[in-house]
Amino acid sequence: MPGMNSGVTDNDPTVVAAFRAALAHQGIIALLIVGILAVVWVAIRERRQASGDGAAGLGAVGPVPAEAAGRQVLRIGFGLLWLLDGLLQAQPDMAVGLPSGVIQPTAETSPVWVQHLVNWAGTSWSYHPIQAAAATVWIQVGIGLWLLAARRGMLSRLAGVASLGWGLIVWVFGESFGGIFAPSLSWLTGAPGAALIYCAAGALLVLPERYWRTPRLGRAILAGLGAFMIGMAVLQAWPGRGFWQGSVNGGPGALVSSVQSMVTTPQPGFLSGLVSSFGSFARQDGFGVNLFAVIVMAALGAAFLTGRRRVIVPATWAFVVFCLADWILIEDLGFFGGLGTDPNNMIPVALVGVAGFFACTRVPEATPDAATAAAATPDGSGRGWVPRLAALQASLTRATFGTMASFSAIGVIVLGAAPLAAAQANPAASTVLAQSVDGPASTVVYPAPSFTLTDQRGQRVSLPSLRGKTILLTFLDPVCVSDCPLIAQEFRQAGQLLGASNKQVELVAVNLNPLYHQLSYIQTFDKQEGLASVPNWLYLTGSPATLTKLYAKYGVSSQTLPAGAMLGHSDIAFAIDKSGTIRQELDFNPGPGSTATQSSFASELASAATQTLRAS
Amino acid sequence: MRRIRGAAAAIGTVLLACGCGSTVASQGAAPTTPGAAAAPAAPVLSAANSVSEAGGTWASVPMGTVGPNLFWQLVRLPASGGHWTLETPPNVATSGAVILAGQQGQGAAGETLDVGIRPSLDLTFSPIVTTSNAGDAWSALAPEPGLANVPDALAAAPGGEMVALDKDQEVSELTSPGAANWSSLSSQHAVGATAAGRECGLTALTATAYTAGNMPLLGAACAKAGVAGIFAYSAGTWHLAGPALTGPLAGQRIQVLRLTRIGGTDAALLEAGSGPSAVLAAAWTSDSGSHWTVSSVLKLDSAQPTSASFGANGATGVTLSNGRGALIDGPHGSWQPLPALPPGKSVTLALPAGQAPEALAADGSVLTISRLAPGAARWTTAQVLKVPIEYGSSA
Repeated sequence: MPGMNSGVTDNDPTVVAAFRAALAHQGIIALLIVGILAVVWVAIRERRQASGDGAAGLGAVGPVPAEAAGRQVLRIGFGLLWLLDGLLQAQPDMAVGLPSGVIQPTAETSPVWVQHLVNWAGTSWSYHPIQAAAATVWIQVGIGLWLLAARRGMLSRLAGVASLGWGLIVWVFGESFGGIFAPSLSWLTGAPGAALIYCAAGALLVLPERYWRTPRLGRAILAGLGAFMIGMAVLQAWPGRGFWQGSVNGGPGALVSSVQSMVTTPQPGFLSGLVSSFGSFARQDGFGVNLFAVIVMAALGAAFLTGRRRVIVPATWAFVVFCLADWILIEDLGFFGGLGTDPNNMIPVALVGVAGFFACTRVPEATPDAATAAAATPDGSGRGWVPRLAALQASLTRATFGTMASFSAIGVIVLGAAPLAAAQANPAASTVLAQSVDGPASTVVYPAPSFTLTDQRGQRVSLPSLRGKTILLTFLDPVCVSDCPLIAQEFRQAGQLLGASNKQVELVAVNLNPLYHQLSYIQTFDKQEGLASVPNWLYLTGSPATLTKLYAKYGVSSQTLPAGAMLGHSDIAFAIDKSGTIRQELDFNPGPGSTATQSSFASELASAATQTLRAS
Repeated sequence: MRRIRGAAAAIGTVLLACGCGSTVASQGAAPTTPGAAAAPAAPVLSAANSVSEAGGTWASVPMGTVGPNLFWQLVRLPASGGHWTLETPPNVATSGAVILAGQQGQGAAGETLDVGIRPSLDLTFSPIVTTSNAGDAWSALAPEPGLANVPDALAAAPGGEMVALDKDQEVSELTSPGAANWSSLSSQHAVGATAAGRECGLTALTATAYTAGNMPLLGAACAKAGVAGIFAYSAGTWHLAGPALTGPLAGQRIQVLRLTRIGGTDAALLEAGSGPSAVLAAAWTSDSGSHWTVSSVLKLDSAQPTSASFGANGATGVTLSNGRGALIDGPHGSWQPLPALPPGKSVTLALPAGQAPEALAADGSVLTISRLAPGAARWTTAQVLKVPIEYGSSA
């Protein structure tokens, strides 16, 4: 999948440090948001109380009915899950590793159109890994806190909307639709994707509270779950999918293969031992294991479909036990290995089952709705800003801790999303990738060694003739098979990124291969790289002796390697100001040469040109 | 409650359809290579080969591993004998292949070798270099748009003019060694549109060469049975200049595997037919194609030819995919089977003038040269050349 992988290692120290710094900075801002909101809230409450308005405001909304038990299970359960997911997203390897280590493997067995869709998202992530990873952390932490804090009313339902929306994004782009289009789809190993269950839970939380005050919703939840389980049982039993065999042609069967892949992730020894033992057992008796799973899934599904209390009570308990067993023995808890992003599907689906069960069996008594009580209070709809401000103050005074915490959580979500949105508006990749490959640019001040060479059009060009323009200079071998074409593309992209400033910049390369010094080689190289029509591109050459002397002046190494190897040379770029002074030196080895790193180097080069323009 | 169950059943049905549908689709997705069946017959011969000149024998062999770690090498054996030495042109990655083009003329005493480097990785054109002192020094000629992956993609005339077959079936020429650029001479489409091309039923161009009179020659694969696709360029168009085939060759489709000039003779290697009935034949002409001598046929017995080399006086040697080989001394000889070839990932024959044939077996960074003494039943190791390959230098 082109573009998915930035080519930088998952634990690259530069990226990891930048990710940690971003989290720390945004964390401080998050604390400030919470602190400011808390101070404002307390101050207004104190003031209203002191002025005598508080007595009515603080307790006059009347009796508030208890939250339905089923809804509470969903809200708190998924709040904690989102919180856990957010914290897992903060693992150091996540910024670089998520596209190549999580998204790409998940999409590999899916149809091509899914891979294209997911590749687009992975590429976008790879261009701005720090902003994307940090945003994911804060959005998921924010949704978790919001669900935990907002127990009632519109804010709570909006938290459900947030869970539904973000869950959908994660399910499509992060989980490749939960693998439902992949041939090895199985509920036992993660189908239909944990995030889809987060979406379902979010949708249930969006429902008006009156739906939770009758057992019909609970029965509908369990019936849906029952139909889903029967469907998954049929799929699990479907012949030819490899689940009935513990081993196939000497290799592991479908289920055993999944278990074995999980065991390879770093984890506590006792857990890997337990899972490995189950894998061995399943390999020996694959038929028996699958038969047991199919029967249990079908039986639980049928039990949920009955809707009878005496059946669903034991079925719910059995369902939870089965989910926990699968979570441990097959899914291996799901979040170990440095790139685990959630505990997989079993805990969420068990939560949905329990919520459905409580929604059936523990229906709250009908009481006056809090919203009805709230409707009796002043809403500030009068004309003029004075009554509106008073109404706002009254609202803040009445606001509970949960309400203020909810607003804080929303602030955390915005805090994460805003930098990512700003980064996505920039078509060029973050410079952190280039810096992770070669380190930051060096700021220097010394006169650029002079030269007089011939450009690709046969015109003489000297350094003094370029005075008045900022120069981005590099050295390129026209018959190079790897680095030089990449660097040339990075220069071309840098020119595009400079926009209007590009007119004040010359993109200059000097031929680095004295054997291939003829004009025809640099012209052919330009044609190969699409540079022939770039107006401020100069590719200069000269006699072998002239070129060799110039390499020495600029400290560029050029070494003939034996036996069919291309010329060994250093990759370097210089930013030269209008007066001919070198302002920046950039180690310019293009590294893995992915689209993300290319774009990142182009950004770094454009940034160097911009800084040099400003300095001169 | 009935409505709830109905909805649940519908959801279940949708899930089932979803899951089962994807499974069936996956199982039914047989691997296919669209267009493969319609692709024209293309030569399978490796670019590895050797050419003997007055001053010595040059050979091009693939070494290293694969991809960016495949490094083609150029080695040379002086005419006076002695040892093979590594003469690979410097400062360019040879992962694509090294294509040889000796500037041999009738009675030429000099030893000018032109070498084309096939495109590889991000390099899309072909650097061209030349040496006139046995590889001690190289100079660059104008870059070619991108040589085809055949051993005779590049040919040179004694005056330094060159003709090249491109990877996209275009034919280019360099009108003089000092010319700044290659110019277009023809293409598969253009040759195929001529009367000669239609007579051949041209499906692919496979080789370039020069006649004794320094006119460009092209080798090709023909769809029409019994037509040897050798085209000579004169009077502004292409004419069929190949041998008239008789006997077992007449009823078969012919593909020109090699076409090159040895001294004042043009030599060709033809493959007739395909599969178990395929045969090889060599052909020689000294008068620009007016008269040809065609050898007896060499039955391949389901093997594939893997490389072919030419020696002095038109000697022709081939290696086969079954680890065997065969040799014919020239227009007056007949095919002689060779003992089992020495082991190696790539084996190429060299036919130095006046000396016993040699086999160059490449494996990783070791090139083992074996010699077949007259009358001997097996190859004897004559030299082991360890090549200092810079793995990873192109990555």
